[in-house]
Parts: sequence; C-alpha cells; structure tokens
Amino acid sequence: MLHFLLLGAGLFLLFRLVASDSGAPREIVISEPRVEALAQSFSRTWMRPPTAQELNGLVEDYIKEEIYYREAVTMGLDRDDVVIRRRLRQKLEFVSEDTAATLQPTDEQLQDYLRQHAEKFVQPGRLSFQQVLFSVERRGESARRDAGKLIHQLEAGRGPADPTQAGDATLLPAGLDDASPQDIASTFGEDFAKQIDEAPVGQWSGPFQSSYGWHLVRVAARTPDVAPKLEQVRPVVLREWQFEQNQKLGGEFYQSLRNQYDVRVEGELGVLLEKYKAAGSEAAR
Amino acid sequence: MRTVRKQNLLILGLAVAAFALPAVAQEHAATDVGTLDKQTAGKAFPAKPPYSPYAGRNFPTRPFFGDTHLHTSLSVDAGAFGNRLTPVDAYRFAKGEEITASSGQQVKLSRPLDFLVVADHSDAMGLFPLIFGGDPKVLATEKGRKWYDLIQSGKGAEAAVDIITSFGAGTIPPEIIPLPGTPLYRSVWQDIIKAAEGANDPGRFTAFIGFEWTSVTAGNNLHRNVIFRDNAEKASRTEPYTTQKPLGSDNPRDLWKWMTAYEEKTGGDVLALAHNGNLSNGRMFPIIESFTGKPIDREYAEQSAKWEHLYEATQIKGDGETHPFLSPNDEFANYERWDKGNLDLTVAKKPEMLEFEYARSALKNGLKLEKELGINPYKFGLVGSTDAHTALAAVEEDNFFGKTSSSEPSAGRAMHPFIKTEKATFMGWETVASGYAAVWAKENTRESIFDAMERREAYATTGSRMVVRFFGGFDFEAKDANNRMPAQIGYTKGVPMGGDLNHAPAGKVPTFLVAALKDPIGANLDRYQIVKGWVDAKGDVHEKVYDVAWSGDRKPGKDGKVPAVGNTVDVANATWSNTIGAPELITVWKDPDFDPAQSAFYYGRVIEIPTPRWTAYDAKKFDVKMPPEVRMTTTERAYTSPIWYTP
Repeated sequence: MLHFLLLGAGLFLLFRLVASDSGAPREIVISEPRVEALAQSFSRTWMRPPTAQELNGLVEDYIKEEIYYREAVTMGLDRDDVVIRRRLRQKLEFVSEDTAATLQPTDEQLQDYLRQHAEKFVQPGRLSFQQVLFSVERRGESARRDAGKLIHQLEAGRGPADPTQAGDATLLPAGLDDASPQDIASTFGEDFAKQIDEAPVGQWSGPFQSSYGWHLVRVAARTPDVAPKLEQVRPVVLREWQFEQNQKLGGEFYQSLRNQYDVRVEGELGVLLEKYKAAGSEAAR
Repeated sequence: MRTVRKQNLLILGLAVAAFALPAVAQEHAATDVGTLDKQTAGKAFPAKPPYSPYAGRNFPTRPFFGDTHLHTSLSVDAGAFGNRLTPVDAYRFAKGEEITASSGQQVKLSRPLDFLVVADHSDAMGLFPLIFGGDPKVLATEKGRKWYDLIQSGKGAEAAVDIITSFGAGTIPPEIIPLPGTPLYRSVWQDIIKAAEGANDPGRFTAFIGFEWTSVTAGNNLHRNVIFRDNAEKASRTEPYTTQKPLGSDNPRDLWKWMTAYEEKTGGDVLALAHNGNLSNGRMFPIIESFTGKPIDREYAEQSAKWEHLYEATQIKGDGETHPFLSPNDEFANYERWDKGNLDLTVAKKPEMLEFEYARSALKNGLKLEKELGINPYKFGLVGSTDAHTALAAVEEDNFFGKTSSSEPSAGRAMHPFIKTEKATFMGWETVASGYAAVWAKENTRESIFDAMERREAYATTGSRMVVRFFGGFDFEAKDANNRMPAQIGYTKGVPMGGDLNHAPAGKVPTFLVAALKDPIGANLDRYQIVKGWVDAKGDVHEKVYDVAWSGDRKPGKDGKVPAVGNTVDVANATWSNTIGAPELITVWKDPDFDPAQSAFYYGRVIEIPTPRWTAYDAKKFDVKMPPEVRMTTTERAYTSPIWYTP
C-alpha cells in the first residue's frame, strides 16, 4: 500500500532524479546533461548549435523557469489547477498508450481479429461506368423526358453512336473508373450510387436521378465485394488491433492503480446533491 | 488485334529505319516490315490528341477536401478543455470512421475527408517510451527485460505500475536513466509525426505532418500553421518553432527564418498558413509593421511572398473574407463576422484596424505594396479550415461538434459564452460551423496536394463540398461554357485559380470560364460572383463584385445587382428544400471595366441558397428556444484563390 501512496510523489521524484538539478533546498545546479539538453533542443530547432551568447540565454531562462516552478510548487499552485491536473493525467495515460504501440501480435491473433471483425475490412465492390447528364438547370422539366427519349432510342438500337455527346456540359466527370460506392456517393450523391448498383453491365440504362438531373449510365465493369486475406490488409488490421489493445490496456492500467487506493465519498451522492440544490435556492432568496 | 500488331510492327520498323537510314527527310522508306510512307507513319505517331478523351490528361480532375488546422488533446489548451482524443483518433474520424467524442457522444462525418493536418502545439513529454520501445540498453538490464516481457505477454498494465513504483522507491537501474545525448523527454512532436505516418495512405488519404505556431502576444493573433511536404525522416530532424523566447519568437519574421533554416539543412519543404486576421487587431497584413512601427520593408515582403501562399480565410472563429465596413457595396459582406476585438478580447476593435485584417483588403493592399516594394507580400490563395480543438474536423451545419470539447453538442452550448471579458463577449452561438480546404491536386498524396497548395490551386469553403472551377485567360468565349469538358478547355486556354495573367495582348481583356457544382448532399447554388480588386495610377485600391452566373431567370436590377434568390428554410424543423437555386452554374465572363495598365486580381465567390444554421439544428434537437439575436440560417459559400493580372 505504502509504495503506491508514493505514486503521486513518484512523478515529482522522477523529475528530480532525472533532472539532477537539486541539491539543498535553495540550491539550483545546472548539470552538464541539462546544458547538453538545452543545446540539443536549440540545435534541433535551428539546425545549428547555439552561440555562446544564445546558450547563456537558454540557461538563464531555464534557471528562471526552475525558480518559478519551485516557488509555485511550494505554494501549492499545482494542486487545484485544472489544467495541470488534466495535463499530468494525460501524461500518465500516454504510458498505457505507448505500451499498446509496442505490442507485436502473432499472425494468428491478427487472423482472429480479422475474422471477428470481417465487416470492417470488406472491400466493397467497384464500378467502372460512363454517365450522361440531362441537366435540370438547363432543361428544367424536359430533362427527364429527354433522358427517357434517348434511352428508348438506345434500347431500340436507333441511338447515336456516341451517346455521351447528347448530354449537357457539366463539371461532373463523364465517368468513374474502379470506383467504390463511397467514391460514387461523394461525387453524385448516395441515392445515385444506390440506384446504379444494380445497373446492367455493357449497356446503357436509366434514367437515374441525382440532384443534378437525370442520367443515363453505362456500366463497363463491376467487381464484387471482397473479403480480403490477411496479407492484403495486414497493416490496417494491425492498426485496428493495436487500437483495441490500447483501449483494453488503458482500462486495466487504471484498474490496477485504483485497486491500490482506499477511496470513499463522504455521504450519499443523492443526499449531497439535494443539500447543494437547497443551499443554492436559499442563496437566491 | 491485327491492326494493333501491325501498328506495333510499324513503330518497330520505323525505329529500326531511323537507325539504319541517313537522317534525311524522306517521303518513304523501305524497311523490313514493308514500305513506310508518310501517311502510315502519321498513323503511328498521331499529331492529334488521342481518341480517348481521358488519356494523356495531366491536370487535376477532382478537388480534395480536407482540414489544414485541427487540434487534438496533445494541444495543452485542448486537453485543458477536456479533449481526450489523440491524433490517431483525429485521423480515424477524418477517414470516415465513427468514434466516441470527448463528451462521450458518438460522431461520424457524412463522408470521409481526403486529407488532414493535425496542427498541435509542441511540448516535452516523459521517458516511458524509452523503456517500452525495447531500447537495447534497457533490455540488457534484468528489470528492463522483465518489464519488456510483461508488456509483450499482454501484462502491460502490470509493467507500467511496476515502473512507477520503482521510480518512487529509487530502484530504477541507472543504465536506464537517460544518458547524455539521448533525448531526456520524448517530444510530443514525435507522437504527431508517428500518427501522421501511420495514417498517411498515398492515393487514398493524406496525413500531413504539421504544427501551429501560436503567436498571440497581448492577445493579438498572428497564428500560422506550418505544413510539411516531407515525411518523418526530414521532419524528425527538427523541433517545431515555438513562440517562447529564447528558443522561439512571436514575430513572423523569425518563423520565416526558422523555415529557411529547416529547408536549407534538410532539403525539406514547408509552407506557412496564417489565420484569424480578424483577431489580430490590425496586425496580420500590415503596411506598418507592428513589431517595428515602420513600414514593412522589401525583406518582409519577400519572405511573406515566399512562405505564405495561402491564407485560411474562414473558420470557427469567424469568416475573414471581407467586412461590411471595408466593402459597403457588397451585400454578402456581412457573413459570420467576429469583429469585436483581439483573440482574448482584452482590446476592443477600432475601425482603422479592419483594413489590415481581412483577405480582400490585404489582396488589394498587396497590389499597392507591389508597386512600392517591387514584390507583392500578400499574394495568397484562400482555404478554409476548422481550428477545432476537439480532434474532430466536424463543421457541417447538422453535425457541428464545436470549437472545444466543452462545446460539443449540448442544450446549453449556444448560450454559453465562448469568451467573455469586460470589453466584449463572444457567445457560443457565434462560433461558426466552418470550413474546409479544397485543393485541386492530381493525386491524393502529400507531394501532389502540397504542390497544389504552393501553386495556390485551392479554394475555401464554409463547410459544404461544392466543386468550384475558376479559369482565367484572354481567349475564353461564350461557347466554352457548353464544352462537355470544361476543365480541359480551362487548362488549355487559360490558367486555373492561383495563376497569373500577364501583359494583355492588344485589344484583349481578361475572360473567365467559371463553374460550380453543388455539394451532392447539399443545397443548390444561388450565384457565382467574381470579386475584382485593382490599384489605379494614383496608387489607390478599389474593388467591385460582379454577379456572373445565377440560378433561375432573375434579371439584374437598375443597380446592376441580381436580386435575392429567396429562402426555403423552415427554421423550426431545421429543413430546407432545393426548389430554388441551381445544382450547377457554368459561364464565361469578360471584364467590362478592364484597364490593361492597372494591376488587378479576380477571385470567385460561390454562394448557396439559405440553409439552416447549426443553431437551428441545436434548437430542434435539444428543444430549446434561441433568443432573437441568434442567427438561425446561413448561406454557405466558397472563395477561390485569385488569378492575378500584371500589366
């Protein structure tokens, strides 16, 4: 129990051990490693070592910071500061995060993960298609009718050799190659993407509606959904697995720390809350 | 098939013939694959472009949408407000995954973004990673080995607690305590780089390495984001520039010096992206430099022109395109203004500050300064970004997750003050659900998107994903607006947004091929405007806004302006309908007031029909009544980078 009560002090001890700048209480010793660290920090920022004057300035600034730091801690300014408390909590939370990041799972573990979360890694089928737009802006009501007319002609074998010439000028691409449902939705809207999901391959079909007007579509190729093998998606699976481990580890880390503490709340929360609210309305009167 | 083979043989034959025959122009040549005459040779090497319209394309064909300015819990101020999300979470969200926000709510973007810059502030960190990272010196000690093994066997929590305990008891092997030369603290910068490298997926998603240089002395905002074209190898060799002396500085000139040193020493490539001139109290685009009290000099102009090719003109803390005081004839100028003072509202705004705070004014003054200094210090393109401190690049009106984690969706967030001082208050409802950067790059890679940013081929949006084209040249004609491939014509006959037009040929005026496509899940477009700024012979600057394309059959009034498009917003239900406006606008426009002797810029501004503002969605979802001063509708817009004309 005792050594876990030292946990709180541990962090400060850590800094002091490592910084090795403190001797007697009012003594500040700037060690060689400290000077090196300051010089190194400068070098990395400015891509060159500091001049003597610059290094002097860095040391002076560090001394000032150390003095203010000690005085502030002595005064207990760190105790109830929300920012400091949250920051220190965050730094410890990084500990479990770093742990997860170094974990190297076996292929079997990754295979298991892939199997259990198959839907996350499915590569959706892709479409290659051309489209012709009959713009609602340019044609108004007749957009649908014009599109319908052309598809009838094409179905009857009477259509123009190049139907793409029949449509309107637009920023929309004349087609997409090897596009996922997401790609199609990003450009044409989700409705349109859903509609052409069933469009036949190798012929013109439609009219399909989007917020831009009416389209005829000719699907050139469609590939099915693929459940990938581990070799194909290993980096992504690893990343997701590590993420999950991270969450788990964070919980375990906190739990093992918490188990070392004797925690109690002084009274029932519900009662305390009523007391608080009553005091509030008293003050208001 | 046979034709192809014959063509291949012809090419082979021609190649052989080229070696075998003397270099004399011949009408035909006898080769061992038949006689090659000019006609057949012509077929093998066609002078015309290929039949396939998509072959041989070498220009950007789609815009990539992203955020160049996002903060995670690694930023101290974000963490202090309760942000618990890391850069890893930020990238997952940007890629379209559903995650749990810091406030515990589930959140997901309507569509993935294409790129993201996590621009946190840098700081120092702890030394645990040395231990966990399997450092050989650590593994050589018994304790170190024990901890490492615990971690590898899934008992990481036990290892972590044991380490902390050992520190407390003073039983850490001395070999493990950082030695001179090894970094005492792993910097958060390394965390940022690692997350970016992990999330970067060339061709699918770009994660840029970057940071924010947060100069805000006395509350006056001079922030710049620094974005790296480079990957970890170069970026790791430096530390981000800070604003604290003696290592850092709050003066942009020093930031530019840092950028110079970085590029020279590493061969890397960085750019600077400023934001919130509206909170700089007159210091962002100076004619008189605030640090010296003197007019900016040639060196300032050179450095500014070199490093700052883009400006973040719209974000959560206000829109920065222009201001009604500066543009009294622009009826769209009064959009989401944050003009009460500086960043921490310690000093109130004075009207004379405005000229040096807003993009349009700075672009104009840039032309003026170019005459005096020989170089234009304010020749920047425009992008939008969020500056969200939630790690969530979420600024769609119906999906706005606020500026800080304490302002994620809740019933009270609109009426809670964002900043309140005795000088002024910014209420929560005044925060803007804006914006994104749209970049015309050829591919979704760091190099391609960065290069597009450097050449300013980008535009700002206030959160919608409109597709906007803006081409300038001297030869566009009305019929080009009917061309089935507007981009092809645009790049062939002119320059894209961010480009330059020089020396108008005699009798010719700048012409612009402009086009905008509504966001597929968004609102129709009201109009496409062109904003022109120029400097006259006396050195005075001017501006004018032209309506160049608009929906429906509205006619310009006597004042030359096209009347309002209308409003279908049902505030109570937070809905609108696309029964007004147009899904697409394309036109060619010619400058009717051109003077070839005057430097000028032109940029496009596209405005949507009115839609519900995030406050209306909040009111509906939380069933709260907003007071009358709260804005409930918005008109999303896009601002393109300018095209500059130089005589």
